[in-house]
Amino acid sequence: MSRSLLSLFLALVFALPSGASAAEGASPATARLAQAVAEAIRAAPAEAPVAVSLSGGSAELRRAFGTLLASRLAAQQLGPVVLEVPPERAEATAREQGARSLARLRLDLEGGELVARGDVLGTWVNFWSGRTPTRPPKPAAAVAVGVEADAAVLALAAVGTPSTGTPGPGSSQQKRPIRLLGAVFARLETPLAALAAGDLDGDGRDEVAALTAHEVVVFGADGRILARRELEGTAATATTREPFGALAVLVGPPRLAAWSTRYARGEVLVLDRAKGTLRPSGTLEAAPLGTSERGAFVPGQTVFAPEVKLADGRALTVPAPFGAASFAAPRMLFVHADGTASLYARPASAPARLSGLGVGSALGDLDGDGAPELLTTSPQLQPSPEVLRVLSLATDAPMAHEPLWQGALPAGRALNVVTADLDGDKRREVLVGSWKPDGTSELFLLRQGAP
Amino acid sequence: MIRSALVGFVLFASAPTLAASRPRYGGELRAAHAGPPEIGEPALADTPMEAALLGLLTRPVCRVDADGRARPTLARELSRPLPQAVRVTLPSAASATAVARAWTRLSSPEAPSPYRALLYPLRGEGRQVTSSGATLELALAFPWPDLERSLCHPALAPPPSPASGPFSSAGRGVLEAQPAWPEGRPYLDRLALTATDERGLTRLWTSRQVQVELGTPPDNDTLTGAALYATYLAYSPRKVPPDFRQAVESAIDRDDLTRLFVKGPAVSMANLLPPALLPQGPRARPQAPPAGTARKVTLAYDAALADQRAVAERIQVKLHEQGYTVALEPQSRAALRSRQARGDFELMLSALLLPPLPGPALAVVLEAGGRRDLLGVELPPIGALTDAGARDARSRERALALAPSVPLIPLYAQGLGMRAAPEVTGLVLDAQGLPVMEGAWLAPPEASGGGGRP
Repeated sequence: MSRSLLSLFLALVFALPSGASAAEGASPATARLAQAVAEAIRAAPAEAPVAVSLSGGSAELRRAFGTLLASRLAAQQLGPVVLEVPPERAEATAREQGARSLARLRLDLEGGELVARGDVLGTWVNFWSGRTPTRPPKPAAAVAVGVEADAAVLALAAVGTPSTGTPGPGSSQQKRPIRLLGAVFARLETPLAALAAGDLDGDGRDEVAALTAHEVVVFGADGRILARRELEGTAATATTREPFGALAVLVGPPRLAAWSTRYARGEVLVLDRAKGTLRPSGTLEAAPLGTSERGAFVPGQTVFAPEVKLADGRALTVPAPFGAASFAAPRMLFVHADGTASLYARPASAPARLSGLGVGSALGDLDGDGAPELLTTSPQLQPSPEVLRVLSLATDAPMAHEPLWQGALPAGRALNVVTADLDGDKRREVLVGSWKPDGTSELFLLRQGAP
Repeated sequence: MIRSALVGFVLFASAPTLAASRPRYGGELRAAHAGPPEIGEPALADTPMEAALLGLLTRPVCRVDADGRARPTLARELSRPLPQAVRVTLPSAASATAVARAWTRLSSPEAPSPYRALLYPLRGEGRQVTSSGATLELALAFPWPDLERSLCHPALAPPPSPASGPFSSAGRGVLEAQPAWPEGRPYLDRLALTATDERGLTRLWTSRQVQVELGTPPDNDTLTGAALYATYLAYSPRKVPPDFRQAVESAIDRDDLTRLFVKGPAVSMANLLPPALLPQGPRARPQAPPAGTARKVTLAYDAALADQRAVAERIQVKLHEQGYTVALEPQSRAALRSRQARGDFELMLSALLLPPLPGPALAVVLEAGGRRDLLGVELPPIGALTDAGARDARSRERALALAPSVPLIPLYAQGLGMRAAPEVTGLVLDAQGLPVMEGAWLAPPEASGGGGRP
């Protein structure tokens, strides 16, 4: 496990319980699953000492879960032993080590859930059986327990190849296959208007910022709220029916630029992590599309006007109003209201016209080759299920080729997609903001999983 | 009520519409309706059709959504700075003044309205509401958690003005989207309205000349709003014999009225509150009272409503069998309201658009039944209950208990029937049973298909 992932996991396991908006509230998913599995093993009923054999997931996830499960079993006087052997040797090893019961479990991360499946069996051999490894009638139970996964689980399940830092110009970078695992990152009580990520506190790791109609919330890498602030100012004369806005992390010094269409102006905010506050440091007259790119809302509509001011100060007019923009220099993506998009390879070039994109679209390098991929949701209003696709931009017609990866997202309207480096390993994670049918919204985190 | 609204939501949710995950802006929606070409002031435009049409041009400060929550519409915000105070923040001082005037007018002697009961929990019974800049500070005389939702009643909207509704009139039946509508501009650019009759509705729909029809009879393709437009036979106890209620109850078959004399969607109503607010079981009709001396009475009804005329004629016939000679007197709605407030009538068909909440609805019914004296007795104990379900239950219980003492004989309740072409997406009904036209949008042709159309 990379050092950053290890420190993140330790922080997650030993930190105080999180705020209400962190996914699933109080305890990490691994701890909740360990508790549930320990209960299932006790109910089997297992006899001490209990050997535990784990498979599936990443080695780090197995080790972390094994530690927590052993702790729960020990608290129940079940004398746990975690076996570090392949599953096919678990039964014999358990007998050799004098265990009376064996729990064989496989860990999987699927559909946003961390799941443990397996069985509990007795390893005691009747004296009269001689050398034949007969089994006792008890314990005997099947185990299938799942809990909602969280950011810590994703960190543990992530590929363990350590990063070597930012490669220099011209250095060749190895491309990895994309395999994303997802978990709920955080929840908000109201619909999301915009989403952004960037290093707001200078620690080398990105924070995630969410904008609702009237509020900005900043989350840490673990989905805990670092700060939140009610927006202030004069009401806009022409607002949008749906919450909508622009949110970006500005660089040097790091600040957050937020503008909800409910207000006549945007605000520039500075994160004070120690105090857990967002301090206003100015107002905005242009909608922040990116770190340095600016645009303007079409009054009353959930789109931006086609005129964009680029980072170098030049003006660009895209072919039509757009609902989402993403910048990964030198590429730029603008998603239009009709499900088409304008993709610029360079600011001065003519845009390529793409179709079939959802407004939840972004550019981000997920495979580590130094070039961004195109991430996009479904163009339908109420897709079932909502799907995130990762497409290569190596060809002229990315939508015409099979996605590098695609996977279902939890129910809801996925309207915002950003990429972020949450653990400082220079690899991008994906955050998807969705509106839920009950009027709340959810941030769903996807990161590279173990191969 | 909720079911019909949910139908709308399901229609909205199920449309596999290409829109890059967000509704599309723009376009003209062609709608036909069987309502009057001219609509009066909000307190009098209270049939579901008139309220729906007037709601395009003027709205109260909020709307109760199908989930029961109040959502600011004309107002930017409704808040409670103190438990006993409600603050309504409007977009401008002019708007606040217009709303305050409209509310005050409900209690004025020249235009008394039963909907003033919705403001009864305010200090001074809402007789004098004043604005301060763009805000209205409303102090409650007693706890009334349902005040915000009461303020969402269509009768509490200000008179139409260019900024009072999600659309504004551009002449010749065309309504333009109001870009500065506080809730957010409508998705549509404009609405083209055609006033017609039932035959015209059918013709326009089958020839695909319109995309939305308001006022259609219920069938499989129809969205039906909550039946909250309740019609009662009001009587003056001093001017009719004591057994008059028994005579009417024995003579009138409510199911007959809804089946044969009233245009749907309609349901018979045997209690003070309609079935949407108070579930009603079967009730046996009483025996006719012993025949007495022949009586002559006058039944006033709303001349603008064909339904009321048909029902009045039916009552005329059925009461004749009970020894009553009933003279029919068509009146304007304003005259009816005025006479009802003065008690200047013998019999009257009185129709009210009740709010979708039992407590506030009971208040309006008591006011209309001439029992304003009961408001101060009945409302505070209801408002003292913090749980919404308990308040609703208590209101229903009191409605049943008070029915014999309120000189209103419930007859039937009606809702609004509506249908929309497949390309019309996001069109839902609110808890009041009225369409939220500003939330509708036109799906691109490739996504809408042609299903559901003749």
